[in-house]
Amino acid sequence: MHLSFMKTIRAEQLKLKRSPVWLAFFALPIISAFFGTFNYMANQGVLKSEWYSLWSQHTLFLCYLFMPALIGTYCSYLWRLEHLRNNWNSFLTAPVSRTSLYVGKLVWAAIMIAAGNIWIYLLYYLCGKLCGLPGTPPEESIGWIIGGILGGIVICCVQLTISMVIRSFAIPIGIGLAGGIGGLMITNKGLGTYYPYSLYCMGMHANNPQMELDIQAFLIGCLFHFLLFSVISVVCLRRHE
Amino acid sequence: MKTLLLEFYKIKRRNVWLTMFAMLSVQLLWGLWAFRDPKDWELQCGWMSLLYHLSLLDGIMVPTMMAVLASRLADIEHKGNTYKQLETLRSAGSLYHAKAICGCIIIMLLFAVQFVFFILLGYALGYEGNPDLKYYLLSYVLKIASNLSLFLLQLALSMFFANQMVPLVAGLGGSMAALLLMFVTTYSFLPWGGNLSAALVMSEWDETTRISTYFYRAFSSVETAAVVCIFVWIVVFYAAGRILFTRREA
Repeated sequence: MHLSFMKTIRAEQLKLKRSPVWLAFFALPIISAFFGTFNYMANQGVLKSEWYSLWSQHTLFLCYLFMPALIGTYCSYLWRLEHLRNNWNSFLTAPVSRTSLYVGKLVWAAIMIAAGNIWIYLLYYLCGKLCGLPGTPPEESIGWIIGGILGGIVICCVQLTISMVIRSFAIPIGIGLAGGIGGLMITNKGLGTYYPYSLYCMGMHANNPQMELDIQAFLIGCLFHFLLFSVISVVCLRRHE
Repeated sequence: MKTLLLEFYKIKRRNVWLTMFAMLSVQLLWGLWAFRDPKDWELQCGWMSLLYHLSLLDGIMVPTMMAVLASRLADIEHKGNTYKQLETLRSAGSLYHAKAICGCIIIMLLFAVQFVFFILLGYALGYEGNPDLKYYLLSYVLKIASNLSLFLLQLALSMFFANQMVPLVAGLGGSMAALLLMFVTTYSFLPWGGNLSAALVMSEWDETTRISTYFYRAFSSVETAAVVCIFVWIVVFYAAGRILFTRREA
């Protein structure tokens, strides 16, 4: 299991080699950071919580609307080769377990989420300093990033399942966007932990950096959706002809 | 005409309609959620607030929707590697033209459904009076125009790049640019700012009374130029896409 798992990660790495897909994770947070900082500077009369306010300006729309769709793009890309021509046959006849095949893709999606979140944090720090904010970002901001990575991995599981089942590259991205917008409504109702697309924003504290997050409920929500969609994916893969 | 009919035949069972209406249904659900339990002052200006919020919602969602639509129309040719074969049957230009018209018809129907639903919602909520037909029709026409320009941009990208990731990320970036533009300006010459420039209703938020005032926009000359720019983009994107496509080696 261990060896085959490493082989699939290596195989996925080869598939992604020289692909410009990471550029989207690099570019979109820059746009968000630029406008978020601009908005923060223009509304300092209302946004008085310094680093906290800047964080919400940087992440609110990115987390709710664009990251789910962006993760959807990445996951679609991870399945793109399999959907081309007869590649499913060679994919499924690889001498590794179906679970390993899935884990290989999930690991790369998780790596991209982690890298994307670290990039968002770096931009936040740089923009805060450029705005002349005193000191450093609050200590709990590290927790926001970790929460975001966990929530992001859950969205990866959902989108990997959708992109595996739907052959189209575009439709899962639309579902990601719709899911993110749905997350806005559901989080507002206080039901975010039951809805996978809300977990990323909740973990990131995008709506309100000073809110008290029920860590236990959040982690259970993440674990439940992670297991649910991973199991669905592996079962679908095992039944795939 | 035959080429156009064939385009519709190609998208049969490809769930293009379903995808578009699924994305539209998110807007409809949002409408049901956001406009529930209106207060008295909201009932008075309900029809104007509907137009205002539709512009915001479309500005955010539609660039990605158009990217998805264009990608669905184009990727069948990429997947089947059908360009050379199709060129032996009809000119590349007419194929491109058929795809553009097909997308345009879908857009017109999509937004007709959107308008009908929101107008019905307005009546169900008990908004005072009737929708101002002149403004609603004008808004519909401008919405078609601004979203057609985005669709043509996305179609050009989707037909040019076999890897659909590129146009879809462009659409996503466009959605983000559109959203962020809303915070800083009331018009934009960028293609993704079309929904913003074409918005007929503006709003002012009174912090003390916590009431929004809606009013029909008096277009300044620069704002009018931004609206005209939408039509310029349509011509530019159609021409550029067609030229790129006809000169493309399959």
